[in-house]
Amino acid sequence: MIEVSHLSKSYRDLKAVDDVSFQVQSGEILGFLGPNGAGKTTTMRILTGVLPPTSGTVKVSGFDVFEQPLEVKKRIGYLPENPPLYTDMTVRAYLRFVASIKGVPRKARDGEVDRVAQKTNCTQFIQRVIGNLSKGQRQRVGLAQALLGDPEVLILDEPTVGLDPAQIIEVRQLIKSLAGKHTIVLSTHILPEVTAICQKALIISQGKVVAYDTLDNLQRAHAGAATADGQTGPMPSLEEIFLKLTSA
Amino acid sequence: MKNALAIAKKELNIYFATPIAYVMFTLFVVIGSYFFLRLLGAYEQASLMYMRFNSPEMMNRLNFQDAIFRALFGNLGVILIFVVPFLTMRLVAEEKKQKTIELLYSTPVTPGQIVWGKYLAALAILVCTLTFTLLYPALVQIVAKDPNGVEWRSIFLGYAGLFLLGAAYMALGLFVSSLTESQVVAALITFVVLLMTWIIGWTAAETEGATREVVTYLSSVSHLDSFSKGTVDLKDLVYFVSICALGLFATHRAVEAHRWS
Repeated sequence: MIEVSHLSKSYRDLKAVDDVSFQVQSGEILGFLGPNGAGKTTTMRILTGVLPPTSGTVKVSGFDVFEQPLEVKKRIGYLPENPPLYTDMTVRAYLRFVASIKGVPRKARDGEVDRVAQKTNCTQFIQRVIGNLSKGQRQRVGLAQALLGDPEVLILDEPTVGLDPAQIIEVRQLIKSLAGKHTIVLSTHILPEVTAICQKALIISQGKVVAYDTLDNLQRAHAGAATADGQTGPMPSLEEIFLKLTSA
Repeated sequence: MKNALAIAKKELNIYFATPIAYVMFTLFVVIGSYFFLRLLGAYEQASLMYMRFNSPEMMNRLNFQDAIFRALFGNLGVILIFVVPFLTMRLVAEEKKQKTIELLYSTPVTPGQIVWGKYLAALAILVCTLTFTLLYPALVQIVAKDPNGVEWRSIFLGYAGLFLLGAAYMALGLFVSSLTESQVVAALITFVVLLMTWIIGWTAAETEGATREVVTYLSSVSHLDSFSKGTVDLKDLVYFVSICALGLFATHRAVEAHRWS
């Protein structure tokens, strides 16, 4: 579904993303991990066609992001790090606007807005002006915006930031329920989140991929040394693997 | 086109959700009314004077179009220089600052549609602003009670000229807004640019020959005059349309370039 090969992005001398390759199969949830400044957001912005790469290719559903950006953008829902909200608009007006530029036909627009608002629990404040909403509410409006038009691929940059614990669990469940039908790439630095919802993890550090595997394989690969009686060592948590890999 | 209209609708939604449009309408009408009343007073004095001298010849030459509206349109054109920067400043700069431009870049919208959408919204606001000033000729028509008092054809041509002038200013303002993240900087630079297109005309009196021709051609407000006289000069039409085209083209380039920076 998503094929990234040898992707690099440089800003003058700084290599933000350095030769990153990975694939995400249809219906999979990929957890995208890395310390701050590792290049997660840059990679996601390239995936969504916001930013052109310096080299390498990205294909979404077989379309090259660079060659056929409109085809790719039709199939992607993107929640950036800071939800792109027009603070002077009401939630409903905002969602209607996003639905229209995503090509949702006029007649279906109201139904589609109601559907995503319900899914993300935005219905109770849908008439309010976005500028007056709390951080958690804004985050949910951002998520609702990404779901509009029911895109095949969802790119979510830290979707649970700013939410309270109950909302975090809700959003995780929502994302989990979207798996199968949607292909999801999700970045976070909350590690239990990856354990809770993702099948695969990609850890990057300083723009380079340091680990890319299923969670089980990662744990097995980094298990402690076998003990004397032949048992495998204690299974490391994702935290331990993460710290070990990114501190190098 | 559908996307451009959706963006225009969103821009108008924001214009009218914030005080900016209302404040600009009010300012434009207040200052415009001041000029209108001054010109009306001057007309009154002139007609009284001609009557006292009992010169029907002079009275015949006195008409609303030349005495009031030609000057009024010139004044309104100058007021646009002060109003337009505040209407265009947020168009692209705010999207960049608030990072909402990422939404437009990640949805199936082309840079051309973004520019058209924003420009259409700016033109709609311009039309609204100018519509309020239709009050002046309407008042004159009502009070004069003379069916031939107001030459509506010339009035509408004058408005067409004002619209074109405003459209050219809006295109320049839109371009400046696409160069910066700061709305204040966008407004200031736009204001200076528009002011330059006006005051460059002042130097025309001191120059002669080809220089004078060039300077006069560059001056924006002077191109309004043929319209408010009730004529359409191709030269003026070309001037306005080419500035609009230049502004929009440059904005398109700037929006596209922003992604690469």
